[in-house]
Amino acid sequence: MATNAIRALHPMTKFTFALFVTAAVIAVPSYLFAYAMFAALLVIAAAAGVLREFFAFVLKTLVVLLIIVFLMQLLFYPGDDIIGGWWVFTLTQEGLAYGLLLTSRILAIGSAFILFFRITEVKDFVKALENMGLPPAGAYVVLSTLQIIPEMRRQSNVIMDAQKTRGVETEGSVLVRAKAFLPTLTPLILSAIASTEERAITLESRAFSAPVNKTSLHTLERRPIDTGLIALFTIGAVALIVWRVAVWIL
Amino acid sequence: MDPVIQLKNVSYRYPVGDEQVLKNVSLDIGRGKLVTIVGNNSAGKTTLCNLIRGFIPHFYKGDLEGSVLVDGEEIADAQLGQLAEKIGYVFQNPFIQISGVKETVFDEVAFGLENLGVPVDDIRRRVEDVLQLVKIDNLRNKNPFELSGGQRQRVALASIIVMDPDILVIDEPSSQLDPVGTEQVFDIIRLMKERGKTIVLVEHKMDLIAEYADELIVLADGEVKLHGPVREVFADPSYMALGIQYPHAAALALDLQEKGMELPFLPIRDEEVAECLARARRKEGRP
Repeated sequence: MATNAIRALHPMTKFTFALFVTAAVIAVPSYLFAYAMFAALLVIAAAAGVLREFFAFVLKTLVVLLIIVFLMQLLFYPGDDIIGGWWVFTLTQEGLAYGLLLTSRILAIGSAFILFFRITEVKDFVKALENMGLPPAGAYVVLSTLQIIPEMRRQSNVIMDAQKTRGVETEGSVLVRAKAFLPTLTPLILSAIASTEERAITLESRAFSAPVNKTSLHTLERRPIDTGLIALFTIGAVALIVWRVAVWIL
Repeated sequence: MDPVIQLKNVSYRYPVGDEQVLKNVSLDIGRGKLVTIVGNNSAGKTTLCNLIRGFIPHFYKGDLEGSVLVDGEEIADAQLGQLAEKIGYVFQNPFIQISGVKETVFDEVAFGLENLGVPVDDIRRRVEDVLQLVKIDNLRNKNPFELSGGQRQRVALASIIVMDPDILVIDEPSSQLDPVGTEQVFDIIRLMKERGKTIVLVEHKMDLIAEYADELIVLADGEVKLHGPVREVFADPSYMALGIQYPHAAALALDLQEKGMELPFLPIRDEEVAECLARARRKEGRP
């Protein structure tokens, strides 16, 4: 069980925080603010003991996207305040500012949700959704998908070995691998479809469709601190949005 | 006899099939009996199991005639999920009989009880009991996906037994298991019989049937050819014509009879052979 104070929070508390970050960086039109948010997320990740994984994941997923978005804005955003030129492009102050703002927002929102999934177990999150009224069948679909992916990977290895013994080449150049794709993928998909029937029977054998309220060994604890933090984040997000709308109208 | 499962003139055809898989089947299965169904491939064994468990007509559609009564209740009128409390069902493939949403064997076994809405404290107690009973307590914290076939089959059995159904339908539990795994599964079946459960078992291993079963139902081409106490069915001359295996002991004895040796009874278990031969000798007047 999570002993870390941050990880021990209720999944909905963490989720509300991610939503709060989203609302905040959209409401406040300043890239410095959004980058500061990212810095805050790094601090939270460190406190939760997931800094290394969190940072590595952000680097892997977001950075390439951010560079592309930033260059696009810098090169193509229309503006009058020219600050330089390169080949056929003119670089404008507006483009630079918008590029910074947009990337800072993507970074803050993206990493807020990455952090959320780093510090929340999916089964806890699904449980929280179930408590809020997600039907058990929906929860089952989400959870079983997560568990079945590694199982299917194992099975695809078995099929690959089986096809190798039949002389299908699975190693070598891209073309060779591409050719091996069909004879390995087809049995994998067909067997997955065939096993759904047995899976359904398994579930029925375990009373999955019994018309009673299910109980659960896995319970989530919702402490006063969760209620307090959720209220705080919600009020904070609403306040920022109201402030933003007020500034915009007046 | 107090029949707990009754089939009356049941015929069934699968939605995509041309022929009837079961033809005019009538059966009574007594409470507390271990009844084994044997038959060659496509004789209708699994279909019969599905029928008793209610997967026909609730899950598989198709044409069903006649009536299936469990505890005097028409199975077609019952609710499929609720039947889990009354009839446990374990089938051949141990690899697929896993809920797929639980990370430990303990939680996996608890899954059925959660679905039935059993209070959490009761669930914990019952799961503990079953883990001991089925002797898988050492696996409790393992991921069900990482178990061997034999272990998975025992987990599957435990997951059903924990719901404490009166009737167990077990379809070829040992078909994918090695001898050790088979023995472990049959240990559990024997335990369930001692607890007074009614058990319907499909099995090919005749020696195991001879050892454990009370009654034998022989299916061929969707019809019940023979039904009675195990020893009587094996001794029935028409059994041989059906082309189904005998237990080793019975096969040996029948060979001896064919060679002209007179036997006082038909042994079906290995340990009966010596007794049978000894009595045969005495009868011939030799010491």
